[in-house]
This record gives sequence, C-alpha cells and structure tokens, in this order.
Amino acid sequence: MEIEPYLRPLPMKEPQNEPFWEGIARHEFLVPKCNNCGDWNWVPYPACRTCLSEDLTWTKIAGHGTVMTFSVVHRGPPTFGKEPYGTVLLELPERPRSLVILGNTTGMNPEDLHIGMRMKIVYEEIPSEDFVMYRFAPA
Amino acid sequence: MTGQKRKAAIVGVYATEQARGLERSIWSLELEAIKGALAEAGLSHTQVDGLIPMDYDTPISLHMAWTEQLGGHPITYMSIGNASGGVAKAASAIETGLANVVVIYFGNANNPNGPRQLKMLDRAPRVKDWMFLVHGAYMSVWYAMWTQLYLHEFKAERDYFAEYPVKMRENAMLNPASLMGSRGPITIEDVYASRMIASPLHLFECSLDNDGGYAIVVASEEIARDCKTKPIWVIGGAEAMYTDGYQTITAPWNDPKGAAVKRATEIAFGQAGITHDDIDVAGLYDCFAITVVRNLEEMGFCKLGEGADYMHEGHLWLDGNMPSNTDGGLLANSHNGNPSGMHTIEVVRQLRGECGARQVKDPKIGVSLAQGASVHGLAGVAVLARD
Repeated sequence: MEIEPYLRPLPMKEPQNEPFWEGIARHEFLVPKCNNCGDWNWVPYPACRTCLSEDLTWTKIAGHGTVMTFSVVHRGPPTFGKEPYGTVLLELPERPRSLVILGNTTGMNPEDLHIGMRMKIVYEEIPSEDFVMYRFAPA
Repeated sequence: MTGQKRKAAIVGVYATEQARGLERSIWSLELEAIKGALAEAGLSHTQVDGLIPMDYDTPISLHMAWTEQLGGHPITYMSIGNASGGVAKAASAIETGLANVVVIYFGNANNPNGPRQLKMLDRAPRVKDWMFLVHGAYMSVWYAMWTQLYLHEFKAERDYFAEYPVKMRENAMLNPASLMGSRGPITIEDVYASRMIASPLHLFECSLDNDGGYAIVVASEEIARDCKTKPIWVIGGAEAMYTDGYQTITAPWNDPKGAAVKRATEIAFGQAGITHDDIDVAGLYDCFAITVVRNLEEMGFCKLGEGADYMHEGHLWLDGNMPSNTDGGLLANSHNGNPSGMHTIEVVRQLRGECGARQVKDPKIGVSLAQGASVHGLAGVAVLARD
C-alpha cells in the first residue's frame, strides 16, 4: 500500500450490517438470502427486493465471479496515492437476481484486467484501522 | 403543432458565471440566478409560489429557508429532482392550480464532484456502508466502467466516443460564456493524448468540474402572456427513477427492456404528442459520451447497441437534424455539480432564437433530458415549444 497509514474512506459498521462485517473478518462474504422466495439481495436491504419479505439470512456465497466491467483509475482522490488502481464490477454466479459487487483489485497489475476474467474475493487486513476489507484477485 | 396543451411556459432562465473556484457562496449564486431569471421575465420575487431546489439532498428545511428569503409569503408548491423533471412537475402543478410561478434553481461553490472531493485527512474517514468512494469509484470511474462495458458488449467504435468532445469543443467556441471555448479546437488525437483519468476515459472525455448557479422560472399561461420574454411552452414532461444511487448495478447493465430514461421519455413524448422527427433542438445530459450514446438508445432514437453509430452520423452536431448541447454541454460549457438545468436553459435560448453564432435555424420544438444518480438511475424529460 502506497500511503501509510491507510487514508482511504472505510465503511461505517452500522448495526444492521454487523453480520456482514463479522463475516468479512472471518474471510466469509455474506449476502442476505430470502427465506421466502430464495432470492439474493445485494447491496443488503431491509427486505427482499423480489417478494418484500423481511425473513432474510446472511448466507455465504461461493466467493468468485467474472469481471462484468472495470476501470484502471489513474487519477483518483488524493488519498488513493499516485499508483493506478483497478476498480471492478464483479458479477457473481448466484441467481436469479444478479449480484454485482464493486471492489478494488489486489495482487495483480490492474492493467491485466479484462472483461470476463475470473476473479475471487479475497480479504485484506488494514492494520492501522483494525479493519478487514474485501478485494478481488485473479482466480 | 395543434392540440398540444400550452398551460405553462418557461418565462425566465439565467445562468451565473460558470467557473472553477468562484469566491461565492451557494446561496449568493442561487439568489443571483433567481433574481436574474425573474428579472428577465419581468416578474417579482413576491409572485413566486413554487420552489424546486436542485440539490439532490434537499430537505424540506431548505424550501422553508428560501420561503423566508423570498419574503415570507405562502409558497404553495415545493418539490425536488432534476431540472427537466422539475420543469415537468412545475408545469403540472401550475395546470392543476397548485402554483402560478415556480422557480427551479441550483448553485454550487467549492464543492467538487471529481476526485478533489476527498480531502487529505490524517485518518481514514468513515462513510456509509456501500459507498462507492470506499473503492475510489467517483463519477468518472462509474462512467468509465460503463464505457468499457459498452465498447466490449457492442463492439462499438472507440473513435466515435472520442469524437464527441471534439464536437462539443466546436460548440463551446461559439458560446462566449463557456469554460472551454476560448481554448480553441481539439482533435481526436488531442483527446487520446490528454492524460488518462480512468480507463478508457482521458481527461478531455470527462466532465468539467466547476462552480456556478442557474435558475429557470415556469409560469402559468396567463402570467406568461404578460412576461417580457417569448413564452417557451412546456408541452410534455416526466421523470423516472429505477434504482438506489450508485448502490446496486444489475446484470445486464444495459438492459434491453430499458429503464428510467426510456420510461420518462415515453411519458413526455406521449403527453406532447410528438415523435422523434418533430424535435428541432435538444439538450441531452452529456457528462460523458457514453451517457449521450445510451440516452439516444433509451429515448428511442436508435436501438440498443447503435447509439455510437447514430451519434457519429452527425444528427446531434450543429449542422445535424437535431443539434444537441449547442452550448458545448458538460464537457466544454459547464458542469457545476447538478448541471441538469443547463441543458434546458440552452434549449430555451435556442427556441427563443437568442444563440447568436450557434443559433439553430428556426427551431420550434426542443427536448431536454436530465439524468444522473446511478448512471441513468434518475431521469427527467421536458418537451418544449415556442409559439
């Protein structure tokens, strides 16, 4: 990481999404799955978008997907440093409602990104912040 | 055209100086714009009874503060949204008797949209859970990802995207108020040679990011007939949204079913009783070329996947059959934070015949499309006509 300490924005851990961040700390990516109709919901919402049921369970996903699209960002906000970073919309295999997750790449040269590339969700410790963040790495 | 409703008209428009780093407050810019637009129409602030601020985070307390600022008489209509949708709602409110003079207004000062919005801090700031800035995905990055997908999905010609800023610079050179006109022409090679911002987008392909304010006044037929300006009738208009703001992207991102822009266009064109061929001049929200390409598809000017080709055919250029963004648009005129009103203002000026060197010949019907918040997440369409 180019800038130490880490100065990029981090998510507020709010009560309604605590299970998600606890999952991330265990290196598990949890998505609310509807117990009524079986659909997945990302980003998490209080009720299922398909049937409006509030009966949802934080459920572990397979944890890999394909690059729906991406950008290599050369001019980011100042706290993102001067090195280009990869931003990806990762399409997951879970269905029927599509799951597309925004994240940054790690462990690769972002210039090697391409649409359709298989990636897996990995977990990165942010030491100065006591925070684990999800990233995408080549599968 | 006959049979169209002509119950409300845009009677005043005003844009303040548009520039980076204006040493002004938002309030001052908005006040100047409101006063300017009312003065153009020959109306008093005491006649205003409808308020539509364009700040996307508008709370009702902002309407109340402006009610006080405007003298404390009863304001009978208050709304939110973007400018084209605002024009549509203002006209609708006037037609149903909720208001007589509605002001749509916006100002931005020292509140950048681009990467400068995140300041250097000594500790990582905390933001909402799924906020895109966690991943450095500010607006240019979203539209870069959209462009990347489109180029791949439809095997679209890359040069057609780089051509758009070239044409908009040409328009800006005919607009003395534009930010970029005085810099002279650019070529496609210049676009590719400008520094990479977020692949595949170069600097010249990205919106400006500046300060400025504007206001649009919509009035009833009775009042409009007595105004100093030529009335520009609101003959159709609608708004639509289909998703939360930059939270969830669905696959496919470019859905053949269409989304908010398509829906708003269908309603607005239906109200106005127009077809695509009836439109003489347009303002199509153009923060990036991909936005214009997708606007054209969603609005039904061409099919999904054909937008870049359609744009390259030249319909939107100054010598085309529907000149669009004749002020230079968001790449070369001004992007002031929520510039959705700038397109409507330019269309109004074209319909009035006030555009000087960039004047379109005798336009009768114009359309403005505003979009934003989640790339086509929120759309507004206004169909305008002169007498």
